[in-house]
Amino acid sequence: MSGAANPVSPPDITITADPEKLAAFEQRIADGILIEPGDWMPDSYRTLMLRMAEHHANSEIIGALPEGEWITRAPSMLRKLALTAKVQDEVGHGQMLYRVSQELGKSRDDMLRDLVTGVTKYHNCFNYPCPTWADIAMVQWLIDGAAIMNQKTLADGAYGPYVRTMNRINMEEAFHFKSGEDMVLTLMSGTKGQKAMTQEAFDRWWPISLAFFGPADKPNCEELPPMKWRLKIERNDSLRRRFVNRFAPAAIDLGLIINVVTKNEQGFVTSAKPDEAIALDKSTGDWSFTQPDWDEFWRVIRGNGPCNAHRLALRRFSYDQGAWVRRAIGDGAVATPPAA
Amino acid sequence: MQNMLADQLANIVLMHADDKLMLGHIQSDWTGLAPILEEDIAASAMAQDDLSHALVLYEFLGERFKLDPDAIAFDRDPCDYRCCDLVTIPDEFDWATSVVKRWLTATFSQLGLHRLATMTEGDLGDRAKRLLDEQTIQVTHLNRWMTRLGRGSIESHDRMQAALDRLSSSAGMMFEPPDATLTEDESFCCGRDELFTEWAKGIGITLDAAGLSATITLPDRSTGGGRRGEHAPHFIDQHAELTEVRHSDPATSW
Repeated sequence: MSGAANPVSPPDITITADPEKLAAFEQRIADGILIEPGDWMPDSYRTLMLRMAEHHANSEIIGALPEGEWITRAPSMLRKLALTAKVQDEVGHGQMLYRVSQELGKSRDDMLRDLVTGVTKYHNCFNYPCPTWADIAMVQWLIDGAAIMNQKTLADGAYGPYVRTMNRINMEEAFHFKSGEDMVLTLMSGTKGQKAMTQEAFDRWWPISLAFFGPADKPNCEELPPMKWRLKIERNDSLRRRFVNRFAPAAIDLGLIINVVTKNEQGFVTSAKPDEAIALDKSTGDWSFTQPDWDEFWRVIRGNGPCNAHRLALRRFSYDQGAWVRRAIGDGAVATPPAA
Repeated sequence: MQNMLADQLANIVLMHADDKLMLGHIQSDWTGLAPILEEDIAASAMAQDDLSHALVLYEFLGERFKLDPDAIAFDRDPCDYRCCDLVTIPDEFDWATSVVKRWLTATFSQLGLHRLATMTEGDLGDRAKRLLDEQTIQVTHLNRWMTRLGRGSIESHDRMQAALDRLSSSAGMMFEPPDATLTEDESFCCGRDELFTEWAKGIGITLDAAGLSATITLPDRSTGGGRRGEHAPHFIDQHAELTEVRHSDPATSW
């Protein structure tokens, strides 16, 4: 799960490359030819691509934590196996994306250290709590659903290793989504208590899902490097609209109410009322909806969300606890498994 | 459920299945937190193997006693679980404890599955045979970790030796018969003493290669522990966590 929709909007990119090489590079992208690690690329492209892949990798391994906390409480053998395999997949996605990032010039240990020391970021959606089993269902259904929507566009990008990794990841994400859908269906077909728990989890995760794609892009974003160079393929608002068109009717069909909510600092809903903006425009096929609380989005992304400190502390604990193992098998310089 | 719990063969199968359940349960909690990403993936795969092996054995019992395998896994009282003391010892997210515990139990399970594979009751033997390939991969992988960390550095050697010293006193209780009335052969097919000797010989080779040592003795048959339902207090907490969601409404589907 993840989706690197919102890290690639840097205002500080200056293109200083040789104009002829730059023109040839941009022509290759326009012609649909993938850029490979050994190819010439502007430094700013490398910087952007590394930032995006590293952010995505960080998101995968931090994203393993909230769901991982529920493996030991999964309510059946198959749910336990599925959730363990799902979280394992996320770690595997992180491993693949760190490999992509390593080829762009940053060592894995530097990336992991930058993550646990707060130098680099991960996706905002993981800074929210998962207090019930139904939250795990919502993460797999809504957040993985959003991630698939975003990552399918990223698989149409220009950087070969990242595109191939997206294709691989998207196949696995489709299984995660199906698992989440099955969990939500089971809960919404269950007891009154299960339905109430699911509605509460939906109230928590619907606005997080809308914010998943990031705030609206600048009007001229198509002319700026991230989209011109096909690191980013689709506008955030466009992805968000497609997400709502897909999930609003699905939620309503399941018996869920799409609410506008307020939350406290711990991320728990303090008030909920039906979103009166929810409606289908039959002429366009688009659903209207209330935007998420963007003030909350910025507050959380700046480190003041309900779980920022907890997630980072757990990741740092893991990094510190494992340091002696990495030292023993590779002097701390490399992170490889025992030789086969 | 009571019919199953009173059955001698069922207790032997539960002994192995419950070991696998608790090993997989505890190890799965490491997913996302292991020292190295590649090993995180491998350790999680082994946790899934253990959980799957437990399920295959619960399914055998489920067919035999007309029980839901999930009910066998989740709905027994703590005193009706037959896992040994070693598998439930918390590792406190110490990688040395995790590796040593998994290695001690994986080598035991490998021999246990070999013995189950000789059984002719229903398809139990065939089921055990199917699990052995994965079990052998686990043992091979963990043997390498024992050697790698035993020989890796002074620090890693000392941590691994400390973990061995901490866990060795519980390792002998893997051989506790799950039912005091079982004879040695009924418990382990080929005898408890023979099994222990075979196991000790196998782990000795790896310990030598790793530069590590362990003193493990076979407890008296009368010594009671986890296999007879006399679990440590931490198992009660683990059982509560295992069943938390399911038992919040046991009558419904999850």
